[in-house]
Amino acid sequence: MSALSLRQAGYAYPAGAGVGPVSLEVEAGEIVLLAGPTGSGKSTLARLAAGLVQRHGKGAPRGEVRVVGVEPHTASPGELVGLVGFVAQEAGDQIVASTLGEEIGLALARWEPGARAARVAEVLREVGLPEEPGRGTGALSLGQQQRLVLGAAIAPRPAVLILDEPLSQVDPAGAEALVALLRRIAGAGTAVLWVEHRLDRALAGADRVVLLDQGAIRWEGPCQEAPLPLLRELGLELPALRALDEGLAAAGLAAGGLAARWRGWRPPLAPLGAVLREEEGLRWSWGPGTALEVQALSLRAGERVALLGGNGAGKSTLLRLLAGELGRGRPHARTQSVPQEPDLTLFCATVGEELAYGPREARRRDALDRVRVVSEALGLLPLAHRPPPSLSRGQRQRVAVGAALTCTPTVLLLDEPTSGQDLAGVERILDALEGALSDGALLFATHDVDLALRRATRLLLLDRGRLVWEGTPAQALAAPPSGLRLPPLAERCRAWGLPYLEPAALLRGQP
Amino acid sequence: MSEPRLKLLLVGCVGLLAVTLERPGSLALLALAGAVALIRVPASRPYWGRGALVVGAAVWGTVLSQGLFYAEHPRVALLSVGPLSLYREGALYGLVQSLRMIAVSLAGLGLVVSTPRDQLLRGLMGLGLPSGLAFMVMTALHFLPDTVREALEVRRARARRGRPVWQRSPWAWLALELSLLRPVVARLIRRARTLAESLDARGFDPLRVEARAPWGGSPGAWALTLAACAGTALLVGARLIFLAYTSGLAWFPALRPLYGWVRAWM
Repeated sequence: MSALSLRQAGYAYPAGAGVGPVSLEVEAGEIVLLAGPTGSGKSTLARLAAGLVQRHGKGAPRGEVRVVGVEPHTASPGELVGLVGFVAQEAGDQIVASTLGEEIGLALARWEPGARAARVAEVLREVGLPEEPGRGTGALSLGQQQRLVLGAAIAPRPAVLILDEPLSQVDPAGAEALVALLRRIAGAGTAVLWVEHRLDRALAGADRVVLLDQGAIRWEGPCQEAPLPLLRELGLELPALRALDEGLAAAGLAAGGLAARWRGWRPPLAPLGAVLREEEGLRWSWGPGTALEVQALSLRAGERVALLGGNGAGKSTLLRLLAGELGRGRPHARTQSVPQEPDLTLFCATVGEELAYGPREARRRDALDRVRVVSEALGLLPLAHRPPPSLSRGQRQRVAVGAALTCTPTVLLLDEPTSGQDLAGVERILDALEGALSDGALLFATHDVDLALRRATRLLLLDRGRLVWEGTPAQALAAPPSGLRLPPLAERCRAWGLPYLEPAALLRGQP
Repeated sequence: MSEPRLKLLLVGCVGLLAVTLERPGSLALLALAGAVALIRVPASRPYWGRGALVVGAAVWGTVLSQGLFYAEHPRVALLSVGPLSLYREGALYGLVQSLRMIAVSLAGLGLVVSTPRDQLLRGLMGLGLPSGLAFMVMTALHFLPDTVREALEVRRARARRGRPVWQRSPWAWLALELSLLRPVVARLIRRARTLAESLDARGFDPLRVEARAPWGGSPGAWALTLAACAGTALLVGARLIFLAYTSGLAWFPALRPLYGWVRAWM
């Protein structure tokens, strides 16, 4: 008997669309990756497998879902906690308790106090949070919140663990540790169904991958055999090293041959314009030991600055300070910001209204043109009449970025703009930003070092609230600062003396 | 005060007193006590300014509407403008109602701002409520601060995209505030759904009754709570005796001073 079994299972939302019918088996000890473009139904399928949409949704479920032979939506609370652990995308909304220990211990209500305390300490250690059960949950960064909700889900050792993008806000070192943790959990016999966009890392950690497109399975099989053309067609992140190796093999090239194609090449340097924002003495404290202090920061026209650093380094705090959202700060004229949670900025009835809100308030004559250009660039035209809450997280993120862009800012501050996005969505956002913000400056916080190295003109590295390193991507590649973990492809490029580009561009040679 | 059950008892006392008292002066004292309790919570600081505005608007709106549309007799017109009159009895009735609402709201707000959700939930379950009911009460108590927080977020998002927060015309301001309702409710529903699913997946049993944990709290907190409970019991008792007298059920000549005191102060 499979740990998780879906037979012709599906779910139709009252407004139409949904997922399925889908048949899928996940065995005990197996990690199955569920991947697909933004809006393909991954989150719905995950909630269906956990028995949640059957109980909480207003749509129509169909088919059969069983966890170790039991239909999860009919299980009693006591039974369910041992059957399924579930982690949704929005980490902050899932936290109930005021301390780490209470949050993790919530699902252990039926355990003996001694065993419960021991398990809480063990889980805190496993997910990389401070072993202080009494520590408050109020001042956690989003990445720390994600670790906490993952800890709360694995605490009762469920038979099946279902995760919806558990790595989207976690720093590279943390993501690596969490993938290793998932392997250990699976090794202990738990079946894991893992929804993820960051495929390069996830494919290495999972056993099998299921590719979902428009609510149906397009392909499933071992991770190493995931067809690169299909991943490309679906706009998903490719396993970079494999793509490079296969490309080299197909072209009959060796490492030396590829290096020769790039010898003497220097990345074109875009001329920088005037200084658009100059700040000195940026300080903020959330409490003892959590202070941010940045002496000086300037942004010039044409710059794309990536803000890097581990969870809790102070990236979001710095962006909020610059946006005038903390203390007695005031929003700066022509500075727009998009926070990590897109829902915090969306308030209109439809996507179209959301995009038109800023230009309409500013009574801009070119409002409609602006909205059209941004909608096209971000692929939002087909969604223009949809209410934002009905969209997937990745789509809502694109709407939030679009709504900021239609306000024609000169400085745009983005906090993890690519979380919840497939690769096509990431590229689309970045292309739109480069097009719409050609005379402006972009400062974006990200855990995606690959994205920062490929698309930023300058990198800032924060550590425990201090700016510890600043330089160009080329400088970071030549001599990586401590605290910056390069992606495997970047390490390969460094070793072979190549610039850091995506595999297809590398194989093409110098432009 | 760390023991949530003591806080819940204090809020219960305020609720009972709000329906027991009828004199505007006494109710104003009760509302003041609620305000002091709230101000003592550092986490409430961001809400003081807006809270004072809301309190002022609530009193003003209720007094004005009740004063204008008071239909009982006898009534005394305090002010007449054309066909409209503001009646003293209506204004007083409006004042009493608004003070009741404010006293209870402030006490409730003090409770939720000073008590994390899980402690409040545990406190309610510690009073013997099944976990499902306790969760509903906790969510209902948090509804107001959650709504305020969401509304502030939406206003900030609008301000970022060029909409001025303050409008010169009161009608434009009202329309702006009312238009916050839809996105705020949509967001509250989304968050509530995520939270409900998360709790569901963690085996939250709505019918479970917790074993009673021993009561905590400092001697000062206990003294304050016991004094409040005793005072509330005495005042409610006095009101019941007075009600028995006014409704003709029971009258005792020896209790004349009590009847007079209730009439004058309660």
